[in-house]
Parts: sequence; C-alpha cells; structure tokens
Amino acid sequence: MGGQRAQVIDERGGRPAPPGVAIPAGPPPELVFKRRLRPLQVAHELWAARELVRALAERDLRARYKQAVLGFAWAVLTPLALCAIFTLVFHRAVKIETGAAPYTLFAYVGLIVWQFFSNTMNQGALSLANNLSLLNKVYCPREVFPLATMLVATVDMAIGIGVLGLMFLVFWTAPAATFLWAVPLLLIQFAFTYGIALILSVAVVYLRDVRHLLPIITQMGVFATPVAYPLAKIPHRLQEIYVGLNPLGAVIEGYRKALLYGEAPDGRMTLIAAASSLVFLVGGYLFFKKLETGIADVA
Amino acid sequence: MSRDYPLGTIRTEQVWKRFRADQQRMLLRDRVEQAARRLRGDRGEDWRWALRDINLHIEPGESVGLIGSNGSGKSTLLKMLTRVMYPYAGIIDVRGRIGALIEIRAGIHPDLTGRENIYLFGALLGLKRREVAGRFDDIVEFARLGGAIDRQVKFYSSGMQMRLGFAVAAYLEPHVLLVDEVLAVGDAVFQQRCLDRMREVAEQGTTIVFVSHDLPAVQSICRRGVWLEQGTVRVDAGIKDALAGYRDSIEAQSEATARVGEPLSLLTYEVRGETGEETLHTDEPVTVELTLGGDYRGDATLHLGVSEGTSSPIFQISHEIRMTGGDHRVACVIPRLPLPRGRYTLWAGVYSIGKTDGGTLMSWHSAGQFDVFGPMLDTPPRAVVLAAPVFVPHQWEE
Repeated sequence: MGGQRAQVIDERGGRPAPPGVAIPAGPPPELVFKRRLRPLQVAHELWAARELVRALAERDLRARYKQAVLGFAWAVLTPLALCAIFTLVFHRAVKIETGAAPYTLFAYVGLIVWQFFSNTMNQGALSLANNLSLLNKVYCPREVFPLATMLVATVDMAIGIGVLGLMFLVFWTAPAATFLWAVPLLLIQFAFTYGIALILSVAVVYLRDVRHLLPIITQMGVFATPVAYPLAKIPHRLQEIYVGLNPLGAVIEGYRKALLYGEAPDGRMTLIAAASSLVFLVGGYLFFKKLETGIADVA
Repeated sequence: MSRDYPLGTIRTEQVWKRFRADQQRMLLRDRVEQAARRLRGDRGEDWRWALRDINLHIEPGESVGLIGSNGSGKSTLLKMLTRVMYPYAGIIDVRGRIGALIEIRAGIHPDLTGRENIYLFGALLGLKRREVAGRFDDIVEFARLGGAIDRQVKFYSSGMQMRLGFAVAAYLEPHVLLVDEVLAVGDAVFQQRCLDRMREVAEQGTTIVFVSHDLPAVQSICRRGVWLEQGTVRVDAGIKDALAGYRDSIEAQSEATARVGEPLSLLTYEVRGETGEETLHTDEPVTVELTLGGDYRGDATLHLGVSEGTSSPIFQISHEIRMTGGDHRVACVIPRLPLPRGRYTLWAGVYSIGKTDGGTLMSWHSAGQFDVFGPMLDTPPRAVVLAAPVFVPHQWEE
C-alpha cells in the first residue's frame, strides 16, 4: 500500500524518494560542508546581535543580584578584600618597594585588571556549557555568550574604577595626567581576555576536564601575573617572552605608570603585548568558529 | 544557485548528516587507545547517517507536516533548519527570521521575571526592544499571565512557564515557524489555542514546519506532508497521502510482529456487507466473521474493536464464547455501520474467564483493515482539532 502512495510525484518541487530507488552511499564530495568565514559577514552578524549581548549581560547581572542583599557591593568587596590581604602580606611582610605610589593603590590597580580577567575567564569558559539548552534550540552567533560575560565583568570593573577614584581621595593623590594611556591598554586587555574566553568556552563543551583547570589557572595566575609586585621583579631578559605569553603583565605595568607615576607605558613592552593579544584574539576566534559547528552534535 | 528566493522560503539540497555511532563515555584510557589506533593509520571511527540526501523546497506560506517514527531524523532536520546544527554535506537555505518552538521552556531563565524573560527571548530571536514592546500586550494576553508578569519565573507553575514560552515565540511574527512536538505538553485548552494560533500565523503567510506524532493535529494544520523514514524522504506529497502512507506502514509493521506461542490464534477474518458482498457502506448492515483456532478449552471473552488508522479507537464490543479445543467460528452483525468513508483497522483479542480470570489467550492486536464507502463527514469548524469519526444519520429542517 505504502509503495503505491510513495509514487506520488509532488507538484511543488520536492523530490520523493521511494524505497528501493537508489540513494547514493554518501554525499558527493564537492558538497561536503566547509566552514567559510567572511569577515564582513561575521562582523555584520555580531553587530546585529548587539541587543542580544546586552540582554544576556543584563540577564546575568539581574540573576546574580536577585537574591543577594548586598547587590552590586559584591563587585568591589572581592578586590578590596584581596587588596587588604596583599597590603598586609606583600607590603608589610615581604616589603615590596613601590616608590612614590602607596602600595594599596599599586596593588588595587593590578587587582582590578586581574579581577576582570578572572571573572571573564571563569564565567566565559562556562558560558556555552551553561546555556546548552538555549544553544540547541535557538540560533544566534555563539560568540555572544562569552562576549556577554565580558560585558558583565566590564560593569564590575567600572564599579571597581569608581572605588579607585575614592581611594585616590583617601590617599589624597590625583591620577597623573598621562592617564589617557589607559585607553589603548584597555583595548589590549579586552582583546586578550576575550581571546582566552573564546578558547576556553568552546573547549569546555568538548572536554569537560577543562572546567577543573579553571580554579588552578585562577589561583596560579594571580601570583604569576604582576598584581602584587612590579613587572621588574621578573628577570629582565625574560620580560619580553613573559609579556608575549601574558600581555596582562605589560597592561598592569602600563596602567600603574600612567595612573600612579605619571609616565608613558614602556613602548616596546606595550607593542609586544598588543601583538600577542591580537594573536590570542584572532587565533581564539578562528578556533571558536571552527569548533562551533559541532556544538550541537556533542552536547 | 544564487537565485533570490523570497522571505519565508526553505530550501535544502542534497543534505546529509551523520553522527558518531561509537560515541560513549570517553575515559582517558579510551582516548589513549584511540590515539594509538590513529597512529597506526586506523581512524577507528564509526559513523551513522542520520539524514541522507534530503531535497526539499518549501514556498513562503506553505504549511508542512514532518512525520515519521522515532529516530527517522525529523528533529535533526529541524535543528539544521534553525541553523543550530550544521549539515555534513549539502546546502540549507532558510530565508527570513526563524521562530523556533522546539522546546517550550528553553531560554526561560528562572531567576528573571516574566517581563525580563520576554525581552530576553525577543533579543534571542533577533528583535529590537522596541519591536518586542509593541507585541508585549499580545504576549501577556495570550499567556494569561496577568499580574504575574513581574514575578520571577521560578515561582510560576509549569503551565504558566509553558504558556509564556509559546506566547513569546508565536507572537514574534517570524517568516518561518518551526514547531517540534511542543503540544504534547499542556492541557487540552492550551493545545487548542496553540493550534489556533498556528493556523492564524499560517494564514498571515508564515511558512510552518510542524513536527508531531499527533497525526490529527498535523492534518489540521498542514497541507503538505513529508514522511521521513530512516533518514530519507519516503513521501513528499499532500498531507492526506503522506499520512495515509505513514499510517499504512505503521500498521504493516504491527501486523508483521505476529503473536506466536499463544493458546489461541485468529485463523481467518472477514468483514462483509449486506448479502455477502465485499464492499461496505455507511449506515448499512455489516457482518464480521472470525475463526479462532487453538487447543484451549473453556470460557473466554472475545473483544473486537475498530479504529481509524492505528491510534484513534472508534468503538469496541465483546462477547463470551466457549472454546472446545478446535476451530471456532463466531460472527457478529452490526445492523447499521456508523462509519463514514475511509479506511479502518479491525482489532481482536481473547481473554479467559474463570479460574485464570483475564489471562491472555490471544493478545489485543490489529487483525487487518477494511474500507468503507459512503459519504464524507462534513468539514468541522476550524477550532475542532480532532474530527469526530462517527457518521450519524440525520436530517435538517428549517
């Protein structure tokens, strides 16, 4: 009975394939899907999704503080607490020399950057895994998920910068006029952080083990990065390699020079950091886009 | 190739999709083994085709029902149409904004209020805040949320969450609406309103692809049916033909699984009309005659039933019989057959009475099919989802 009906030829252009009619064993090789990235199209898609990035970030912020009594105060309590510990341990006990700038300010500048990075990394790494039910139902450019977590971290950072302003008042110093250098440094910081978040977010989907690496990276990173101490503590001949691997070192050092000491950031170090973070960003993006196509298959 | 198709067009050309068949828990040990195999040049990968050579062309405004048994590739195809999943090979082209109702509660965040969720979901589907605001009242109205809209969604009942999910997706006015088995949840009233809304959207020119095992619902929404079987398009035709073919194949399968080793079996059956002729007519006498065989002796209850397709029962009758260990012939006369024109399935089963009350002598199964000739039923109003299957002789007066 079914065989007879299977012969119905559809007038709308669909092609019926009754059983027995040969379906090739595999697709013609020239039709095999390959990921092609057109930069303009990608940029356009991301721009079109800007509302979504905002909505996702808003969702995370609202959800985070819905039942927290202290609300946004938490965004500054963590760096302030760390700052206090660092002042006690590194300033009083280890006696790190910070020249003209008060150690507390010195450490706090580093902590703002570090906090931003570790928030984006930790939340961003899980941003795809936590939204899998969404990813399997709705299409949107997937890179918006880590991007939204970075936006959340940026909000936290903005609050942290507000507190930094208060601290300048407390220590009765003013940020140096060179503070405009912070703008290019901020771009380097964003590029590097987003690159890392992209790589980790898609890696977590494929390999759950990466999740367990995160606390280790966070714990070690805060000491492996010049947050509590100046970049000069790293042996001079290794500094360039170090900054190439961890552009945050040059970024933090640059901020301190620009804000606290009134100097321009070291040009060479900044350039190395900029080049390195660009590699992380582009490499991370390509890695992400390459593996993105399989997310729905493995999750 | 680069022809410009209008918004709402869905086009797939030679689409193939495969999954790993060997994907299990990958422990470190397995990975090491796999790496070793790879070094020896043996890829050791086992793939299974989920979809093979899918060619579809759906015009704007068409409503297409995607049917097929579990694992036939319906959901995979739908996921690829939403661009959530990528094909292994082939071209997929969906023009315009896609509204996907794949899992009703996906995307609803429990910690946000209903209002916040509506805006978030709108953003996910690519709408501007302003556009969502314009449809906000419709959504709240459809979801019947009223004052709960500013409450956190985790305090909603699951029915409220579901209504919110459907309302958001259904009021976005997408060019293409993909619906996957969402009506299985929710009460009858809600299902009814969802189907109504889908018909309304279809009338406004939205392309609809509807996946469901609820065949009457599919029939009430769609004009075209695509029946997938083992990853290929078996039939692509009008919804009636596609559904009929699909139902026939289910029936053929259930008949093929013959009952063996039971005390009784159905040797022959015959459904005949008046004066013994083969054709049956609505509102005329019908005789059902069965011969049962087997070595069971004693009293038993014989059940007979008639269903439309395999799933929608219409009526069921039973009769006590005494088996004497040999072949037993039993006939039943229905003086006026209440069935309209169509194809029906006859069901039979025998259960014991007495010491082993209710023991199965012959389990309930479909014996075969018969056709009835006669008038078609009058078309029900749009709101009726499942047409009533019985023909009632009647006369109108004015």
